Amino acid sequence: MAGGERAGSGVPECREHLFKVLVIGELGVGKTSIIKRYVHQLFSQHYRATIGVDFALKVINWDSKTLVRLQLWDIAGQERFGNMTRVYYKEAVGAFVVFDVTRGSTFEAVSKWKHDLDSKVLLPNGSPIPAVLLANKCDQKKDGSQNPSQMDQFCREGGFVGWFETSAKDNINIDEAARFLVENILANYKTFPNEENDVGKPKLDLDPLKAERGERS
Amino acid sequence: MSCSADAVKEKLLWNVKKEVKQIMEEAVTRKFVHEDSSHIIALCGVVEACLLHMLKRRAAGFLRTDKVAALFTKVGKTFVVAGDVCKKVQELQQQVEGRKHQPSGQEPLKRQGSATSKAPVLTPQAIKHIWVRTALIEKVLDKIVQYIVDNCSKYYEKEALLADPVCGPILASLLVGPCALEYTKLKTADHYWTDPSADELVQRHRIHGVHGRQDSPSKRPALGIRKRHSSGSTSEDRFAASAREYVESLHQNSRIHLLYGKNNVLVQPKDDLEAIPGYLSLHQSADSLTLKWTPNQLMNGTLGDSELEKSVYWDYALIVPLSQIVCIHCHQQQSRWTLVLVSQDGTQRPPLHFPQGGHLLAFLSCLENGLLPRGQLEPPLWSQQGKGKVFPKLRKRNSNKSVDLEEMPAEDASTDYVFRIIYPGHKHDNITINYHHLAASRSASVDDDEEEEDKLHAMLSMICSRNLTAPNRMKDAGDMLEMQGFGASALCWQLEPCSRGSSCVSCSSGSSPRDAPACCPCLRDRTPLKMLCESMKKQIVSRAFYGWLAYCRHLSTVRTHLSALVNHTIVPPDKPSSAAGGLTKEVWSKYQKDKKNYKELELLRRVYYGGVQHEIRKEVWPFLLGHYKFGMAKKEMDQVDEDVALRYQKVMAEWKACEVVVKQREKESHSATLAKFSSGSSIDSHVQRLIHRDSTISNDVFISVDEADPAERDCRGRDEPGVTAVSADTPAAAALERQSVEFDSPDSGLPSSRNYSVASGILSSIDDGQSVSFEDGAEEEAGADLDRTGPDTARAQRARAAVLQSQDSASEEQLCSQVDYLMDVASVCAASYTIELLDTVALNLHRIDKDVQRCDRNYWYFTADNLEKLRNVMCSYVWEHLEVGYVQGMCDLLAPLMVILDNDQLAYSCFSSLMKRMSQNFPNGGAMDAHFANMRSLIQILDSELFELMHQNGDYTHFYFCYRWFLLDFKRELLYEDVFTVWEVIWAAKHISSEHFVLFIALALVEVYREIIRDNNMDFTDIIKFFNEMAEHHDAEEILRIARDLVHKVQTLIENK
Repeated sequence: MAGGERAGSGVPECREHLFKVLVIGELGVGKTSIIKRYVHQLFSQHYRATIGVDFALKVINWDSKTLVRLQLWDIAGQERFGNMTRVYYKEAVGAFVVFDVTRGSTFEAVSKWKHDLDSKVLLPNGSPIPAVLLANKCDQKKDGSQNPSQMDQFCREGGFVGWFETSAKDNINIDEAARFLVENILANYKTFPNEENDVGKPKLDLDPLKAERGERS
Repeated sequence: MSCSADAVKEKLLWNVKKEVKQIMEEAVTRKFVHEDSSHIIALCGVVEACLLHMLKRRAAGFLRTDKVAALFTKVGKTFVVAGDVCKKVQELQQQVEGRKHQPSGQEPLKRQGSATSKAPVLTPQAIKHIWVRTALIEKVLDKIVQYIVDNCSKYYEKEALLADPVCGPILASLLVGPCALEYTKLKTADHYWTDPSADELVQRHRIHGVHGRQDSPSKRPALGIRKRHSSGSTSEDRFAASAREYVESLHQNSRIHLLYGKNNVLVQPKDDLEAIPGYLSLHQSADSLTLKWTPNQLMNGTLGDSELEKSVYWDYALIVPLSQIVCIHCHQQQSRWTLVLVSQDGTQRPPLHFPQGGHLLAFLSCLENGLLPRGQLEPPLWSQQGKGKVFPKLRKRNSNKSVDLEEMPAEDASTDYVFRIIYPGHKHDNITINYHHLAASRSASVDDDEEEEDKLHAMLSMICSRNLTAPNRMKDAGDMLEMQGFGASALCWQLEPCSRGSSCVSCSSGSSPRDAPACCPCLRDRTPLKMLCESMKKQIVSRAFYGWLAYCRHLSTVRTHLSALVNHTIVPPDKPSSAAGGLTKEVWSKYQKDKKNYKELELLRRVYYGGVQHEIRKEVWPFLLGHYKFGMAKKEMDQVDEDVALRYQKVMAEWKACEVVVKQREKESHSATLAKFSSGSSIDSHVQRLIHRDSTISNDVFISVDEADPAERDCRGRDEPGVTAVSADTPAAAALERQSVEFDSPDSGLPSSRNYSVASGILSSIDDGQSVSFEDGAEEEAGADLDRTGPDTARAQRARAAVLQSQDSASEEQLCSQVDYLMDVASVCAASYTIELLDTVALNLHRIDKDVQRCDRNYWYFTADNLEKLRNVMCSYVWEHLEVGYVQGMCDLLAPLMVILDNDQLAYSCFSSLMKRMSQNFPNGGAMDAHFANMRSLIQILDSELFELMHQNGDYTHFYFCYRWFLLDFKRELLYEDVFTVWEVIWAAKHISSEHFVLFIALALVEVYREIIRDNNMDFTDIIKFFNEMAEHHDAEEILRIARDLVHKVQTLIENK
């Protein structure tokens, strides 16, 4: 919207990204546990039902030039008050949709959550935000056999960028899933370099001091 | 001679009027004026100019450089009020002196509102006008001026403005208004929160650490998703306080949106100076749009502290409220654009020279956006696909003046545009014109002809658009000539309109040249300018009056609105005796001995102001929650308990019976699902089903499942008709049904393994051994499903068996005694369960189990046994309210009741009462919306500055960050011990101060941290994150006190009407 200078965007040194990532899914599928495992490296029995939303921040040294901060929005699993979800989803750039492999109904709800997500938040270029499907509590699954192609199919049809079998309890695949999501988020930024880091907020580039420096350098 | 002297006086007075008008308008529209407001500085400046006009040399002091100081000192000797101001100013000056010697490191501390430097920090402009400013803020400026006017001969020459019998008193009376205003330093009248507790300071420090604006990027986990901080500039530390503040004001901040910023825009500040580069920015606050241009010298801090403060560049800096601008002229010269802003009084601001490129367009489009919704550019910019905004083509005006615009092709490289800023909705009654000003002002411009033309445009557009005279009564252009005597420089421009009708087209209505004469020289009715000025004077006065009136009306609306939120009778904390001690054991035992004579209200008053002593909570809470009524005799209370116990047992029996059926169903579907798991992973089988539904793809696994043994298909076949029969009622039910069937329908009927980890841990005590007896039932049920309407003995038997079993394992005493009754209930219920009901119950049970398991696991009370009680109470309540069902958060509301009452029946009864109010907060209740709306009004009224901040920082005045607070009555925000007290106060408040006391607690929470919220420029993410982190760290005592004070404040406000 605002024109102005984009001087700040040309600085090549250490890139810093702040990504808002949503974690959604039915009640009790382990969203909070996954986040706690991912951010604090622990599995606790002592978390409570999330009311409204909780936050966690994970800092990733992506590579020598890139620092990624994931702001994880742990959103309560039960239906919420009116328009609030929309406000929660605003400006998110990625999402985990979680279900519980031991409860079929939570998988049934995955499509509902995905649809809700896509209807309420989009990337600045209008495409849906990358979403990764997490099949949580895989440690409790009885049999070991797996048919990834079926899941791959489901993800393709459901618009998920990928899926992982995870266990917050046994720390299975959680880092991998997060890494995969971040790769997808970063890929979006590479495709649309103009969007840079500021999701629909170009005016923030107009910080006077920054503009000043940019012009002189 | 005397004529020009009068003109000078008028000019001086006019300036004062203008500033007074500005400041009063700000006070009315924004409901506050900040002490550091530029309006105050401006007002001080113009008042000072009046005071200095023709001041006697004797009064001014022969040797003193600061004549105003001399005048004030002199007046102070004979006028006490002025004497006080003198003392105050001296104090301030000493503080300023003192601060200069302090290291600059003090600065950040002050910015955090630390208690160490309480003295106000004055900006250089404020220091410059310290005398007048202090008098104004002390609200005595009008009195002092009046005194000077009354004794003018002592201080002033005869021709002085203050000695003028008309102008002098006018000046004094003009200042009455501004002296009646409260100037705020971002504190409300009651400075509750000026002295932060140590805990809070630590907190602030932490927040600042997290949020630190100049930290290295790696140290700073960003709090807000959309903030981009500049990554550090060491030179900034060298800025003097004011300079830093000024430069910071150029950033986006709490109240101001930065719409546009561009560096290296050239401005020629004075005729005899080179054009210098600076930073051009466009700032939007709630009600104004301001253009600023700051010389690079001030921006990049190459000057030292003292140099910077004294720097002449301050004088060059431009601050232009767009509300004063009526026209924007754009000239292009050798592909560089120059922009000239023309004020409503015809003054031109120094031209802004943009660097090459599309900057001007970018600026204009930002400006156009910034003017919305009230104002717009005329003509508007055009949007062109792919290119964004472009200059409007038709309205282009060539700089070659002799050629009409339509005939002139765009061959000339040097093109001009004139844009007017118009406010279509407005009546144009708020602008006053000063023709003298037009003549007097003369700023540097690229081209004299251009300049004159600009003035003309400004003048004409102003006249045309203000409707000062009726536009249709125009006779001829000759009328214009009448005006020439009034403007010194009129000669050079006033002839032009006669020759060029088109010139006003571009700045007025944009109609065709032929229509121009009809609207252009519209000053036809020869009103002498003096009369115009008179009418303008009246306008100023009437506007001030209407401003005041609007403010009064606003207050009255506020009162009406607020009065619904509080009780009108103020119950004092100290009458008949101090209630601060709360409801103690002693008081309670006195009550119990003499129930008839003890007043309920007195007990509640004690609870409201001091809470309940912990030991007697168990006894008192049932009263507070309405289980018992105050004054009940022991016998009556026993009766109440008995009734409740009966009802509770009945409800328990009902849902437990239903639960058995639900478990049974679950078990069946589980066996089926688990069987599927054995042939593939759970995910696979779900996927298979999905694919099966789509019927688009088939694969080996799927086919193999489909070709499972015929018994299973048979089973499925038997299932489905029953389903259809039941679900035919409503389409919704049918949909629900189909879904559940799809999930439940067994793909393979082999109950090979059992895993009930999903089911409640508490109920998993029904082990495999028991379920053997259910297997038979399962067979029967499949058949029975076909005929649900008739009595179903098989089901009743099964239920009986299940209840007996569960009774063994759960060891429910009262249940045991009720077995027979339960059996009856179960058999009746079982027959009438619909699949929808079973589904609903199953869903609710699952949700309850999930939440009960993890309910406050850290709190000592919640052992497995007590969690079981919690579950029973919750299930009973939900069973009775299945239409709402279990919603997350209900467990949190029940938990403290369980802790205090430690009795399921009592807890059940009290929880039911509590939920009468609380259930309204859950989805579909409507109370949450009301809370948010009330919060909005209250903050708007009680702390409009914070409201502005919330509004401007991404607008979170939806107050969703309070959601959890209201949903759970602050249960998650506070420690258990504090929750008890806060809840008691909320319950008592209904009778003592306000039924909506939760609003005031919420308000108190916001107010306690308002400085942090403000200093950190919090947006929605920040604030919700902040309060999440602060959960269980609040000082509940303080918050309650503030909340009570706030109620009291509102009550007094209403009382005073």
